[in-house]
Amino acid sequence: MVIPDFTHKMSAHCESGALTSLLNHAGLEISEPLVFGIASGVFFGYFHKAKAFPFPTFIVRNKPGQMRRNIEKRLGVEFAEYRFKDPALGMSRLDELISRNIPTACQVDFFYLDYVPSWERVHINVHFMIVIGKEEQQYIVSDAYFPKIMKLDERSLEKGRFAGGNMSPEGFLFHTRSVPEKIDLETAIRKGIKKACFNMLSIPMPFLGVKGIRMFARKVTEWPNFARDTEHLSHEIMKINILLEDQGTGGAGFRFMYATFLQQASSILRLPTLKDLSQELMLIGDGWREISLFAARIGKNRDLGAEKLGQLGAMIAGRADAEENFFRKLSKVVH
Amino acid sequence: MKEKEGFIDYPEQQVILYVEKEDGQFGPMQTGSYISANFIDDFRNKRIALEIELRNQLISNLISPVRFYMVLEELTLSELSARSGICKSTVRKHLDPGGFAKATVKDLEHYARVFNISPANLLQVIMVHDGEQMVSQAIPENKIHTLSIHHSTTQNPFIVLTNIEEKK
Repeated sequence: MVIPDFTHKMSAHCESGALTSLLNHAGLEISEPLVFGIASGVFFGYFHKAKAFPFPTFIVRNKPGQMRRNIEKRLGVEFAEYRFKDPALGMSRLDELISRNIPTACQVDFFYLDYVPSWERVHINVHFMIVIGKEEQQYIVSDAYFPKIMKLDERSLEKGRFAGGNMSPEGFLFHTRSVPEKIDLETAIRKGIKKACFNMLSIPMPFLGVKGIRMFARKVTEWPNFARDTEHLSHEIMKINILLEDQGTGGAGFRFMYATFLQQASSILRLPTLKDLSQELMLIGDGWREISLFAARIGKNRDLGAEKLGQLGAMIAGRADAEENFFRKLSKVVH
Repeated sequence: MKEKEGFIDYPEQQVILYVEKEDGQFGPMQTGSYISANFIDDFRNKRIALEIELRNQLISNLISPVRFYMVLEELTLSELSARSGICKSTVRKHLDPGGFAKATVKDLEHYARVFNISPANLLQVIMVHDGEQMVSQAIPENKIHTLSIHHSTTQNPFIVLTNIEEKK
């Protein structure tokens, strides 16, 4: 069976995409950029040494799960959430929910999803997709990263939902329980922007927000110390492109999607300044995209000497300056 | 980014990019993945080279199968420990051939689940004659054109059926 009337839609990002699809299904017409912006999704964090990562890495969005919590808080939407210790119980609860025609979002490790091409599969415990049906031993899945509805073997889904490790999904499920009749979009947008500005400018940690971009700019020149050999370093440098462009960011590490949010917010709040800022962020995003392309190129050419990595660091430092200036202006507009 | 600058023709991996449309509005555009369209061969070659290097260390008894898959799947010691439920110091021992010899069958089952392979594949590397060369079936990047090899699980968690079929 497949839940009737559910519309599958490809999105830039799995979590904001899953949230948008669930809200749309529940009758709330809202775009992915609005969900992303209200949820203060835009962010930056750099991890030079972390137990969970075999190599330095960075993130360009807020903590997984935070978007859902922010949407609940700011839009007044209520989600039902479930976590399980027992996989059998977790799977039977999912079956029960879809048998009641409730599209249900699952948190999974991306690595175990059979329908994902091998070159994309990585162990990452924070992928979200929506289960919308079941046929024999296969689940019918709406995954925002794919143009079509996919099928997933029952055992693979169980492995994905109950993978251990950092940010383990613990079989996590959620679905929309209620959507308020009246939503104060203007207040929600303002709160979302304020929190995003705080996250980018004021968290007192040297690796988060704009400070994190600066740390990335400084530390990227040390990456050769972590690599097994040139091939490994090339792989990791090229991953900068993947993290900024390919892993569900909408391009330029979510900056293009956030610019789209600001453009939509400008109309809703009737604040032309936000439209100007959205244009500015689009240009900042173009700079991030140049970094992506540069990283892919030097990685492919194995041109990874100190000079090129220094150049890469300087380009990243340029984004830190631009974003500091941008978020300062943005915070003034909504205060 | 302007809409026309973002378009990549690569149907195998589609993504959504937010772009500036001709009318000045920003919105989503479905397009191909830039990195996959341009650099997928480089990625595959690196994976294959890494697999060969690790396999040579494995068959020379320099590393254990646990380290082989841990490196291939880009997991850290802490992460593998947390995912397998085996304590970190024990996993560390299992990374070397001597320590691996002391792993229990239950440990192998836990590792196999994390690596998404059959427990049998922690004790063997299946090599397939493909054209001019023998290639390992351990990574999907080795596209074997002649045979398909598929493991079917059974009620017994330690036994898999290895099905070898000629590709038509």
